[in-house]
Amino acid sequence: MSSNTTVIELKGITKRYGYGDTESFALKDFDLTVKRGEFIMIMGPSGCGKTTLLNTIGLLDRATEGSYILNGEDVAGISSSRQSKLRAKKIGFIFQDFNLISDLPVIDNVALPLVYAGYSKTAQLKQASSTLSRFHLQEREYYMPHQLSGGQQQRVAIARAIVSDPEIILADEPTGNLDSRSSHVVMEELKAIHEEGNTIIMVTHNPSLTTYATRVINMLDGQIDTDVKTVSDQNLPKPVEERTTVRRTRKKSGRKK
Amino acid sequence: MLALTKTHIRLARTAIKENRTRSFLTCLGIAIGVASIILILSLMGSISRLVSNQVKSIGADLIVVRPSTNKDVMNDIISEFTSTNTYQKSNLVLSDVETIAAIEGVSSVSPVGIATSTVKTEKNTVESVSILGTNANFTNIQPLSLRFGTFLNDNFEGNTAVVGHTMSLLLFNTNNPVGKTLTIQGKKFVVVGVLSEIEESINYNNVDFDNAVILNAKSLADAIGGIQIQQINAKASNTEGIEEIAEKIQKTLEEKKSGEKNFSVLYGDEITHPASALFNIVSGMLALVAGISLIVGGIGVMNIMLVSVGERTHEIGIRKAVGASSRNILMQFLLEALMLSLMGGLLGLVLGYVLALFLSAVTPFAPYVSWQILVVTFVTSVGIGIVFGIYPALKAASRNPIESLKHYR
Repeated sequence: MSSNTTVIELKGITKRYGYGDTESFALKDFDLTVKRGEFIMIMGPSGCGKTTLLNTIGLLDRATEGSYILNGEDVAGISSSRQSKLRAKKIGFIFQDFNLISDLPVIDNVALPLVYAGYSKTAQLKQASSTLSRFHLQEREYYMPHQLSGGQQQRVAIARAIVSDPEIILADEPTGNLDSRSSHVVMEELKAIHEEGNTIIMVTHNPSLTTYATRVINMLDGQIDTDVKTVSDQNLPKPVEERTTVRRTRKKSGRKK
Repeated sequence: MLALTKTHIRLARTAIKENRTRSFLTCLGIAIGVASIILILSLMGSISRLVSNQVKSIGADLIVVRPSTNKDVMNDIISEFTSTNTYQKSNLVLSDVETIAAIEGVSSVSPVGIATSTVKTEKNTVESVSILGTNANFTNIQPLSLRFGTFLNDNFEGNTAVVGHTMSLLLFNTNNPVGKTLTIQGKKFVVVGVLSEIEESINYNNVDFDNAVILNAKSLADAIGGIQIQQINAKASNTEGIEEIAEKIQKTLEEKKSGEKNFSVLYGDEITHPASALFNIVSGMLALVAGISLIVGGIGVMNIMLVSVGERTHEIGIRKAVGASSRNILMQFLLEALMLSLMGGLLGLVLGYVLALFLSAVTPFAPYVSWQILVVTFVTSVGIGIVFGIYPALKAASRNPIESLKHYR
């Protein structure tokens, strides 16, 4: 499969709040095409619609207008239960404040998307465990989140985001709550994931992180200000063979061809 | 789907365990409601068993004639509260006894007239003694065993009396006063017999035979100047024809009283009817109160579930973000509420049974817990869980994931 496949196609996406005099736009006639294997950094001042964009792509929020094609499927008008299914299987979220469930041990947190994707209990644990070992956290499987450092928690969150082998990973300032050392570790992990052929869209305020990206988008007032590709589409990383071997053991993979 | 349900059950268990005290108190609320329902149901069961046993012991061939103004149950109950049988104006007279005795198919008839009076002997004076006025046939209908002497005899014209076991001791300081005399309102009566001590308490028109004096109805009427006849007992010669015989009694008495229907002829279950109607109303009221306490318990469940939903808003946001549908969230919280109320139900079942056992130790009622009661308990706890869990669960399910993620404890 060529790495030039389009994963996301946004056309004329508009998110409007309020009506009449109080009308305001978080996104205004927003177009974006994301190819497989891209690592996109989205920058811009507060309130320019970065998070709204991420939530819209992540099917947590609905656009007021516009079309959204995810992996060839029009998802703009689908039911919210179908949206949940897609979130479980095709989208991985990484948040600034990790958002782990504090009452659940690390392994159950990682397995969470698999619970709602309909995996059996054994398959959930197997998959979560192998994903955690990839982040060298296999000894911490039954730790509670509060027993881990911030960097470790964020790595658990990254493990959760990729556990169901999603089409796309969305990260909202993943290093925002971390010190520079942990930030570096987390960014290296994201880089490694990207090099395995994953598509990542990341919102950040830190310009120094843009070195990791293959494409940097600057947003202003709900629209694209600048859009710079640092790596051409042809040179985007292709899915790694090793990853496909792991995937064979999974129930279903959208990307395996 | 099954894996998901299992996960939800596991989550509910974790959530309940994590808030042990809170969950226990919520369960207790349900438990108290369920326990009181079980207690009332088992008491109702045991009482109605007691009543039906009493009817059986009275016999299927008994026909009872009672004075009545009308057949309205509510009025009967009110009159039971406001006046005692003893002073109720009766429309039955002693001659009715002979009329009924003459009817074909009636084997024996005895009147029941109850009065209260002071009884004197040479040694003692006892006030407010229940005096039962009847005739020799009484023992054919209500078997009473005699310890000494004989029962009343119609052929003997003199004033004779039979006394109960305890009354004999009270009046004569002996358990064998046969041949001694007692005085009621200046009239002397010779004691011809003493009843054996009654083991089982028989509620016979509020007469406790142990503490009673039994006289001929006529002698009683002479002594105290007329008596009210509360009831006439008639025994049918055969059980199959009891309905016909009862109708015949009804007709004959109506003719005699020139068409006035101021009495009722009862047989079988009808005999205990006024008592059971009262009992039904009282137990209905009790069940209502128990039901209210169950509702209060349910409100407790709802309250704690709302708190739980509020506390776990952030978790709901995370779950939705990683793929939980509203339905998943709904099921998660509904199952938690259901588990709480089921645990409460089980606790209440144990509590109710223990209370019923305790009650059986201090009252003559044996606890009667049937499978119906268990089913009722199960269904009510599930019902309470669903009814009071659905609102918090819906609230949880309808949370917006983005807003929820911003929410912190």
